[in-house]
Amino acid sequence: MFAIDAGGEGVVVVTGRLDAAQCPKAQALLDGVHGAVTLDCSGLEYLSSAGLGVLLKTQKRLMASSGGLRLTGVNRHLQDIFRYSGFDRIFEIEPAR
Amino acid sequence: MLAPQPQSDESAAGREARQRQLSAADLHRILKVTQALASPFDLTTMLAEVVNAAKQVLGAERGSVWLYDDATDELVLKVATGLDSIRLPAGKGLVGLCARTKEIVNVPDCYADPRFDPEVDKATGYHTRCLLTLPLVDHKGALVGVLQVLNKAEGSFDADDEALALALAAQCAVALQRVRMTEAVIEGERLRQELEMARTVQLSTLPSTMPSVPGYDVFGTFEPAELTGGDTFDLAALQQGLLVVLADATGHGIAPALSVTQMQAMVRMAFRMGADLETAFVQVNNGLAETLADDRFITAFIGLLDSACHTLRFHSGGQAPILHFQAASGTCAHYDPTSFPLAAMPLESMGPAVVVEIQPGDILALLSDGIYEYRDAADEQFGEARVEAILREHHDQPMAALSALLFDAVRAFARGAPQEDDMTVVLVKREPAMTGAFRRSFDALQALVDFTTGFFARHGVDRALLPTVDLAVEELFTNMVKYSPGGAAEIRVDIATVPGGVEVTLTDYDVEPFDVAQAPAVDVDLPIEQRRPGGLGLHLLRRMLDRIDYDYSRDDRVSRITFRKTTTGTTTPRNAAQTGSGDVRD
Repeated sequence: MFAIDAGGEGVVVVTGRLDAAQCPKAQALLDGVHGAVTLDCSGLEYLSSAGLGVLLKTQKRLMASSGGLRLTGVNRHLQDIFRYSGFDRIFEIEPAR
Repeated sequence: MLAPQPQSDESAAGREARQRQLSAADLHRILKVTQALASPFDLTTMLAEVVNAAKQVLGAERGSVWLYDDATDELVLKVATGLDSIRLPAGKGLVGLCARTKEIVNVPDCYADPRFDPEVDKATGYHTRCLLTLPLVDHKGALVGVLQVLNKAEGSFDADDEALALALAAQCAVALQRVRMTEAVIEGERLRQELEMARTVQLSTLPSTMPSVPGYDVFGTFEPAELTGGDTFDLAALQQGLLVVLADATGHGIAPALSVTQMQAMVRMAFRMGADLETAFVQVNNGLAETLADDRFITAFIGLLDSACHTLRFHSGGQAPILHFQAASGTCAHYDPTSFPLAAMPLESMGPAVVVEIQPGDILALLSDGIYEYRDAADEQFGEARVEAILREHHDQPMAALSALLFDAVRAFARGAPQEDDMTVVLVKREPAMTGAFRRSFDALQALVDFTTGFFARHGVDRALLPTVDLAVEELFTNMVKYSPGGAAEIRVDIATVPGGVEVTLTDYDVEPFDVAQAPAVDVDLPIEQRRPGGLGLHLLRRMLDRIDYDYSRDDRVSRITFRKTTTGTTTPRNAAQTGSGDVRD
């Protein structure tokens, strides 16, 4: 299951599997955030290219107004995807401990 | 009174004796001694009692009982005061004469009778004056033995003694026959108990639970025949792979049960000590050749399955048929034994083992000849064709169920004809590829995840590969959904294990070609404002999969994308950056 919630000041919590079917839901919530946003990925198990698209679109919008997404708690599988896609150079990424 | 039937040439004395009425005192004496004949249950005591009775009733110094052995037509002297056991051809000497004629032979003065052989006296130092030799005949008139008494205390044996002796002989014959039959029953029971014990040992060495082999369904079972047989099997996960054994020792009774038990222990020990297949086979063969009797041997299949590479190497010492059901064609391949049966003679070395490639859904079926050669009432054998037909029809069943179906079929075929040999079944099946059909919609993604997760669990595939496999399935599936909206309602997905991982094929029907391998490369070094989400999925797959292949059939308008992901084939990021991944055409 996938869930995305605003978790307090400037924090968004994503959990579960962000696949192509869940992207509209993720996009809808992220379209409403502004400024510097921390995306807590410690509960995010899985991400596909469709999810990358959502993150890319959000990052472009936030950066246009001097904001941006910071990803925390990123697991090994997601780190691989960010690295292979070059997205590790687009987002500030903090690996899971 | 039971007495020998009159013969035409019977002596005047015999006829007179039978005509005499026994006195009340005589009857009392006989009754008294024959009471003693009622109690013994073993032959040695009974023979001693018979001799004692005869000595008492007839007032003789010595006595002996010769038992008749109808198997050899000999008379056997088991008990005689002061003498050891002797065998004598029936017909020889006075005892033999008595046995042949079933008539009393009364010799009042031995040394005056040419039929008397003084050699025994010479050997023993005993002086035989007179003797009485009488046949022991049972109810049915069959000869049980010959009773001989020597030296009446006073004078020689007279007609009264003959009459007494005949009455006594009838009692002794019945008593002896009873003991002989009792001993035969006891001997039978002892053999039965020994056989039961050997069977218990034989059964105790069989695997009590089936080993768990990822991606395989293995099952073995053994149904002993009531009395004889020497089957065994083994299925065990060892360092060298999955050990697969089916063996059948020749012969009947206890020996084969013990032979295969010994063999099974030797095979296990050889592999536990690190032997390879050839060494184990040679060593077990040579060990058995040294210890088994010269006329004994064991037909044996010994194989090792590499469940990662899906190859089974085996040697078979005279054990056949070896059936390999091939799921792709629905037919059975047969393999020949590689050697003579174990223990037939020592081996210096082995030729190459047979290597069998086990494809998804294939079954290696080893059955003992107790099944193939099971005969119905009309003497027809169950045979190979019936086994193959059952494999073809029920190969998709779990192996335990397939085994039960085989036994059911044998029993139905036999229609009550008895099981004469052990029946053993060993089945090794590679799990077939899993196939699913998924609606052409993003909503099917959860079902796809359940599908792959279920397959990984069932086949014991390394779960570390699952996110990448899921990613690949999702990227390829969503591509098909997005770019081939006019295709068939469902997209087919097949997944099978390969060494160290899985191979997945997505099949899209009634679509235009779209070669994922030809998708343009993505420049991951572009600044963010120039980055686009398109093409990222295929870009990731080329980096993360071992290989990805595209195939399109113009005739059928079918697209097939096959990818492989294994633990060993994982592309390192550095290599990926330089070369892309293996077979992908960039």
